[in-house]
Formats: sequence, C-alpha cells, structure tokens
Amino acid sequence: MSNLGIFDQTSQLLHKVLDLRQQNQQVIASNIANGNTPGYTAARFEFAEALSAAVGRNDGKMAATHARHFPLSQNNLDQVSGRVLRTPDQSGVGDGNNVSVDQEMLNMAENQLLYEAAAQMLSKKLGLLKYVAQDGR
Amino acid sequence: MDLFNSLRISSSALQAQRLRMDTISSNLANMETTRTPEGGPYQKKSVVFRPVGTSFEERLDRSLRGAVQGVRVDRILADTSEPKLVYDPSHPDADETGYVAMPNINLMDEMVDMKSASRAYEANVTVVKASKRMALKALEIGR
Repeated sequence: MSNLGIFDQTSQLLHKVLDLRQQNQQVIASNIANGNTPGYTAARFEFAEALSAAVGRNDGKMAATHARHFPLSQNNLDQVSGRVLRTPDQSGVGDGNNVSVDQEMLNMAENQLLYEAAAQMLSKKLGLLKYVAQDGR
Repeated sequence: MDLFNSLRISSSALQAQRLRMDTISSNLANMETTRTPEGGPYQKKSVVFRPVGTSFEERLDRSLRGAVQGVRVDRILADTSEPKLVYDPSHPDADETGYVAMPNINLMDEMVDMKSASRAYEANVTVVKASKRMALKALEIGR
C-alpha cells in the first residue's frame, strides 16, 4: 500500500488510528460488560504516545541497501500496536472490581467521536483524490 | 471488522444482566413462598458473574490478549442463611409454636439490585449503539 503514491502518510496514519480506536472500543466494551463482575480489573488501552512518537520519527527512516535485505518497514507507523494496562483495585473495599462506569462511558464517547472524525477525514481525503482523478469535475 | 467483537462482548453482558434481572424478579415473586419442591421456604437466589474471552481469534491477538473479555453467569447461588421466622398461627405452614419460616428476602436489597442491573443493562445498550455507529461510519468511508 505504501508504494502507491496516492496512499500517502496521512491515509496510513488515519488507517492506523481507526484500527487502534476500534481496539480501544473493544477494551472499553469489555470493561463495561464486566462492571458487575467481582474481582475484575479495568483495562486501559494506551496508544496515543506511541502513535505521535511514530509520526514524529518518520523523517529518519532506514533504507534497505541491497535487494535481498530483509524488508525494512517504510516507517514505524505499522509497528504501533498500543498496550494494555491494568491497575488492580487496592482500595480494599467492595468486591475488588474497579470499573467506574461513568469514566468508561466518557472514554467511550471520546473514542467514538475521534473514530468518526478519523473516518470522516479519510473519507474527505479519498474524495479529494476522486476529485483530482476526475480532472477536477 | 472487529467492531463485531465489541458487539459480541456487549451482547454477552446484556444476556448476563437479563438473567440477573430474572433472578431478582423470581426473588421478589417468591417473597412469601413457604413451600417449595425441595421442602422449606424459598431460598433467595443470586447470580455470580465471571469474565470470559469471547473468541479464539481475540485470545490469539498479542496486544489485546486477556484484555478483551465478555461476561457470563458462572452460577446461580442459593442463599442458605436461616429463614425469617414470622409469628402467624393461622398460616397453614405454621409450626406448633405458631411461627412460620419465611424466605430470607430483603425487599430493599432486591430493589437496589434491580436498579443496578437495569443501569448496567442501559450502559451496555449505549455501548452497542456506539459500536454500531462506528461501524456505520467506517462503511461511509469513500462513499
């Protein structure tokens, strides 16, 4: 995909964002689903820092100097996978479940909006390509 | 598309909360039941939830392994605490001293539990709506 000039860095970044936000939605969904499960520890999906670091790092990419070298990734964007964090409940009150449903709902609303924003940006981007491909008609 | 996974997780939660609501309504309906097939008064039932991975694929996924879990009802527990003794000599199940063994069900506990189940259900419905909207938005890309 990255060899095609029209699918540039922006498209790739948006693609990655959609992917990560979709995974985040899964994590939030399972937190809310387990809101009443004794002993369940809420999970956080973190990717924002890794993603912005990968975007910033892009100018210093490595190049393969021989045709038979292992392929080096064009940029580090592909390698951003996010990580799951869990902080067990240490309050000692209740049943060991530390899901806060209000917090999860807020996270979900934010995640949803940003997903839709990324989807719309990708849509606009493709619309622009279409406009150009149709000779501006 | 893995947004379907979110939908599956939420649907497992909806199912579990509905079963919880079923047990609560059974408890409320049987508040005065003194005769059961097992003998003695009705025993309060409560559900025990347990997280469960939703599919093989997602267990295989390195970054999300173990993080993405649905929920299911592990078992339905019967409360074995002592029945409540109520003085009512006219009751057909009263013993020789005039006391009847009534189910040990607290109305307030059940109402609070019911509210909690209903709110949890609503929260999961909201998640379903959000996941669905996201999936539809993804379908609109490039349209």
